[in-house]
Amino acid sequence: MRTTKTLLAVSAAALMAFTPAWGQSVAREDTVIFDLDRTIKDPENFNWFTPGTKRLHGAHQAMWEPLFILNYETGEMEPWLGTAFEPNASHDEWTLSIRDGVKWSDGEVFDADDVVFTVNMALGNEDLSSREAATVRAQVASVEKIDDLTVKFMLKSSNPRFAVENFGVRIFGSMLIMPEHIWNGQDAATFAFYPPIGTGPYKYASGATNRMIWDRDDNYWGAATGFTDLPEPLRLIWLESGGEESRAQLMAANQMDAAQTVTLGTFEAMQFQNPNIIAWKSGMPFAWSDPCARQIEFNTTVAPWDDANMRQAVNHIIDRSQIVNVAYEGTTEASRSIFVQYGGMEKFISAVEDAGYGFSASADVAAGQALIEAAGYAKGADGIYEKDGQDLVANVTVNTASTELTRAVDVILEQLNRAGIAAKPVPVENGVFWGTALPLGEYELAYTWLSCGSINEPWASMGRYTAKDVAPIGERAPGFNNTGRWNTAATAAYSEIVDQMGGMSVGDPAIEGMVVDAYKYYREEVPFLPMVQASKLLPFNTTYWSGWPTQENNYNHPAHWWGHTHQIIHNLTKSN
Amino acid sequence: MADTTELSRAQIRRMKRFDNPWRNPKLIWGAGLILGIVFMGILGRLLWDMELVFTGSAPLKLPPVGFENLRGQAGVAAHPIGTDGAGRDLLSLIIIGAPNSLLVGLLASCIGMSIGIFLGFSAGFLKGRVDDTIRILADVMITIPPLLILVVFQASFGDVSLTMMAVLIACFMWQSPTRLIRAQVLSMRESGYVQMARLSGASTMHIMFREMMPNLVPYLFGSFIANVTTSIVTAVGLEVLGLGPQRIPTLGRTIYEAINSGALIQNLWWWWGIPTILLAVMFVGLLLINLGLDEVSNPRLRKL
Repeated sequence: MRTTKTLLAVSAAALMAFTPAWGQSVAREDTVIFDLDRTIKDPENFNWFTPGTKRLHGAHQAMWEPLFILNYETGEMEPWLGTAFEPNASHDEWTLSIRDGVKWSDGEVFDADDVVFTVNMALGNEDLSSREAATVRAQVASVEKIDDLTVKFMLKSSNPRFAVENFGVRIFGSMLIMPEHIWNGQDAATFAFYPPIGTGPYKYASGATNRMIWDRDDNYWGAATGFTDLPEPLRLIWLESGGEESRAQLMAANQMDAAQTVTLGTFEAMQFQNPNIIAWKSGMPFAWSDPCARQIEFNTTVAPWDDANMRQAVNHIIDRSQIVNVAYEGTTEASRSIFVQYGGMEKFISAVEDAGYGFSASADVAAGQALIEAAGYAKGADGIYEKDGQDLVANVTVNTASTELTRAVDVILEQLNRAGIAAKPVPVENGVFWGTALPLGEYELAYTWLSCGSINEPWASMGRYTAKDVAPIGERAPGFNNTGRWNTAATAAYSEIVDQMGGMSVGDPAIEGMVVDAYKYYREEVPFLPMVQASKLLPFNTTYWSGWPTQENNYNHPAHWWGHTHQIIHNLTKSN
Repeated sequence: MADTTELSRAQIRRMKRFDNPWRNPKLIWGAGLILGIVFMGILGRLLWDMELVFTGSAPLKLPPVGFENLRGQAGVAAHPIGTDGAGRDLLSLIIIGAPNSLLVGLLASCIGMSIGIFLGFSAGFLKGRVDDTIRILADVMITIPPLLILVVFQASFGDVSLTMMAVLIACFMWQSPTRLIRAQVLSMRESGYVQMARLSGASTMHIMFREMMPNLVPYLFGSFIANVTTSIVTAVGLEVLGLGPQRIPTLGRTIYEAINSGALIQNLWWWWGIPTILLAVMFVGLLLINLGLDEVSNPRLRKL
């Protein structure tokens, strides 16, 4: 009996001692819980230069701060760790000014040495495969420290967008500066950076495959220097919700404050159960339009999709408005071109449409079938096209991380099958999708958003499909550019114009005509097909926290897995 | 005063049933339920518009007739048991899906039983090394949870056909019949008629499959039906996890899609509820057949 009691007491004590930070008492009303739509494969690895979930679990929203943040609503680049980023007249030398007084959470000063060290690390290491590192490698010739708060970048060629493209959180993330005093002497390709530190107002507390916990650092430099106040939440948690149903239940039960995108019906049901749930817009369609429009990517090295006519056939068969109505329940619109349908892009979209290169919202199945038949296929008894006894098969790789993606692919597969293409889904997990399938070219067709980039100028998107980024199958496509390996005479002609555009200023009036010229080559061969604009219906819960970004309170956009989430966190206030 | 030993009419009727043990009410009810599902599949294809099984062919999330969904839309006669979140008519989904689920079970069980019968007879009749090998193999395999392996297998396969899934499931459906048949054969091989056949020079195959097997038929049937149930459970388990055939309607896949699209919180009960009821009907039908067969093969179980 005594042994049992002793054992019980010892186990109880052990439990208390080893209870993780999860169990430490921070009240629910002091905690913000964000939704994570994927598993953290390696929660003790924070080397964000290499593939894996290493920053959107709170690391780049709460711990690592960007140099600048692009404000989607004003179009301005707002200073954060940097204060200014000035080019020379020819846009091939850029001078960065760093904010004074910034400190790492271990007390070390953040200065030009950290910036130079991080950029040099990316320049000298091909194994650092993150998009940001690859872009820096492609653009920067060298970097030099002028003084503790000034850094000069010498570019390989003129680039008027250098600052926003690399350091402005334009799409999802930006080149994050790492502490030299910790990374120095490490092998950047294998270093795990655990435990991590950053300059941000939150410090790493604990992590597991399904969650990451960050606690407020009351010594945050921003509050000490008066740059900003200490954010109100004492603790931030990124929690893997595991699908739409559980996401909705957690939000309805106030166990989550910011969820990943859900479908319209689920959002309505959540609001019905919990009136404190809001979204970007207060009425239909509720959603925010994400700059990464959805598309079908073709692997142009795989037959029959190496034939441009077969890709055009798919284009004819696709009924974009049905995708909008069924998969997105009317919350988005069909893509008219490869560009995001933002106001700043409208003149380029109109220009390509006027030139006859637009995409139709409705299908012309007969035209598509005619192209397939012209390629030597004939319909078999089962209604599927065949050639030499082989069915015409389209394997569509789809990321299973979100219901939005699988639903859209379901509709696309249905359309293709009914037109006579045996289209099948290849569902893959998020890590496989981004880690190997796309960059290594291990797919036939894939539902992606890889032309994402342009917001108010056309180059960022068009520049992702040029000949210089063609990698052999099995090697990583640099920065997820041209993963379909589009590499024909048309690619060369397209690339020549697009590369020339890359060196021109954003507002240059000649660009519009050049877009149309280059777009002609793209449209002839369609290495990827724009489908629909991306709409993100992101539910926020105002039960515990107010100040979420909305159309009325539009200090920036609501994509809370992006690096600009620092702004959201600083804007949160306790609800009464 | 009536003689208390005299049997009532009903009892006499039941007594007569002993003349034909196959007229067992459980068996008839069970077979009726299963045949009902099969007929629904056949007649439905003839009477209902099968085009409605395609994505986007109907309005989204309509409730069954007589109900309203959260948006206040009422059910319509064109889609009597409602539609799912991808605009598919639920009636056409189950007309195609329910027989598919049954088919996977039957196919997997057929393959598993065939292997089991062959191995069980071989082990029991031939004894020696053959018996040792088969017995150990079956014993080892019976300890491995099939769902675990099938999940890994199917996840790496991606999209599989119904037949392929049935074959995969069959790989885990032969152990129990093998063991049970082996035990039966071991006792049967010492019986007179087998000894007789052996003395008259009949071949091993002849004795195993022509002399002994007919005596095991009711028993094999029972085992077969139990295996169908297990196969369907396994198949539905995989489908509900999102594995198995991706584009062929099955009951399990319909439930998976419902859960995955937030049908519970949206109160789209018909989307997951109707397939679940059908699965329940299927299992009750199979159970009744099994109980019925038990009574057929074992007269002591029959009640007056």
